[in-house]
Amino acid sequence: MAILLAPGPASALTLRELLDDKALTPKRFASHFAEFDYEFGADVLPADVFLTRRKGDCDDYAVLAGHVLRHHGQTPRLIHVRMVGRVAHAVCYVTEAKAYLDYNNRKYAINVERSGASLRQIATQVAESFKANWTSVSEFTYTYEEDRKRFGVTVVKTDSPASDPDRNPPSAKAAR
Amino acid sequence: MKDPIIRRIVALFAAVAAVLIVVAVVALRNVARATAGSDWVNQTHAAILELGSLRGAFLASDAALRTLVVSGVEQDEAACRETMADLSENLEVVRALLRSDAAAAPAVERLDALAAGRAKLTRDAVAARRGGRPDEIRALLLADTAAGVTAEVRRIVEKLKTEQMALLAARDSQAYLQAQTTRWTVGTGVAFNFILLGLAGWLVWDDVRARRRAAAVLREANDQLETKVRERTAELAKANDVLRAENLERAWGTQALEHQLRYNELIVNSITDLVFVLTKAQNISRINPAVTHVTGFETKELVNRPLQELVRLGSGGRAGPGDPLAQALREGRDYREAEAFVKDRNGREVAVSFMLFPLRDRDRVVGGVVILRTLSVA
Repeated sequence: MAILLAPGPASALTLRELLDDKALTPKRFASHFAEFDYEFGADVLPADVFLTRRKGDCDDYAVLAGHVLRHHGQTPRLIHVRMVGRVAHAVCYVTEAKAYLDYNNRKYAINVERSGASLRQIATQVAESFKANWTSVSEFTYTYEEDRKRFGVTVVKTDSPASDPDRNPPSAKAAR
Repeated sequence: MKDPIIRRIVALFAAVAAVLIVVAVVALRNVARATAGSDWVNQTHAAILELGSLRGAFLASDAALRTLVVSGVEQDEAACRETMADLSENLEVVRALLRSDAAAAPAVERLDALAAGRAKLTRDAVAARRGGRPDEIRALLLADTAAGVTAEVRRIVEKLKTEQMALLAARDSQAYLQAQTTRWTVGTGVAFNFILLGLAGWLVWDDVRARRRAAAVLREANDQLETKVRERTAELAKANDVLRAENLERAWGTQALEHQLRYNELIVNSITDLVFVLTKAQNISRINPAVTHVTGFETKELVNRPLQELVRLGSGGRAGPGDPLAQALREGRDYREAEAFVKDRNGREVAVSFMLFPLRDRDRVVGGVVILRTLSVA
């Protein structure tokens, strides 16, 4: 009887649920991943695989966040920050929220990190959270259908900020 | 701020503060430069690593393409796409990292062209495989091999890596020199500050010593002054005692004199003979009560009146020429007469014997005393 009444394992979150959640905000999105574990993978996991296994890496999280938030009318930007002696780190910057989602912050109460919109500002903040120096940062796009990262603008730390290709980052209105 | 020592110390501390500010500013500037230098070193490292990855991505894409041609399975086609994506990413990062190096631009452009050629080759080969044209694939691969793309990529990458290694060495030396400069600046500043602080300490110590000396001198002077005050106080106390004793003696003397005067007055007043005190001009200055008793005149009525108005000599002055009383007084001798007359208030004359005694003050006759004794009536 006790076995019958005991709560079973929580049903896995699905991509559909995320897409159908009308009240989804970046913070609410991040709160679903507080109990997820970290596991590095060379490739981006398909969304449902990531959600079912409840483990993945920064790429999986950022790509899923970008996919879901774009569906909800937000303007996400996928950012790849390269730091000295570390694997490149991916975050999802949400233009409307002026903040980025970072898989490393998923367990904290403050699970979205406010930041300026330029790649340099985002990279500086991300590298600071690692207590590391960054060397370059790129914006990339990814779709589950294509399963391929396409890199766009890249900013190098030693370049003059005035010459950054994204020195006039798009505002939320312009992005829409 | 009137104290010169305080002015000097304040000036020294201002100098210490100025040196500290200069050291802090220079150190911060050097730290900023060191950080920038470190960023350049990191960037160069990243470029070298990324060039290695780029070469690897070229080889991987080549291998994936040839594997796809040989096997012809879908998974290998996907792998081929992935290697091309990796190559594209590597090339994008290399392009960005070497953007600031104008000398590397032609080589990067060449790598770009080779990567584009590799992408076109892959697309053509995949299309030929899907179209079932193996001869075309073979021709494409042979042409690619003949072109020596892989070897050219290796040469370009190695050349770029060599240049980046040289840059890395130069930037590392620069960072080392920067660190040395920072160390020297901070070390010199701290040493200079220690010297200034030592100087300030010496000034304080010297001032304290001078103040202690001054305090000791002042204390000694105070001690001497206190000794003098004590001595002077003792002298004054002694003099005061002497004065008090003298005053006491004087008071006793005065008291004794007053007693003597009172006794003399009592004696004079108690005798029944008439006593007149005369001035040198023979005016009456004092009388005893017996005069009032015999004549009826009060003292105030007789004082300053000539004696001759009250007393008449029996000889009538016949004893010699002039006034015998004035002569006796002038000569300073007694004058006696067996009979004389004194008038009372009613004009009656009473017979008396007459005696004049000169009054002397330090051997000088200043007046006389006249004593009249009433003669009994026969």
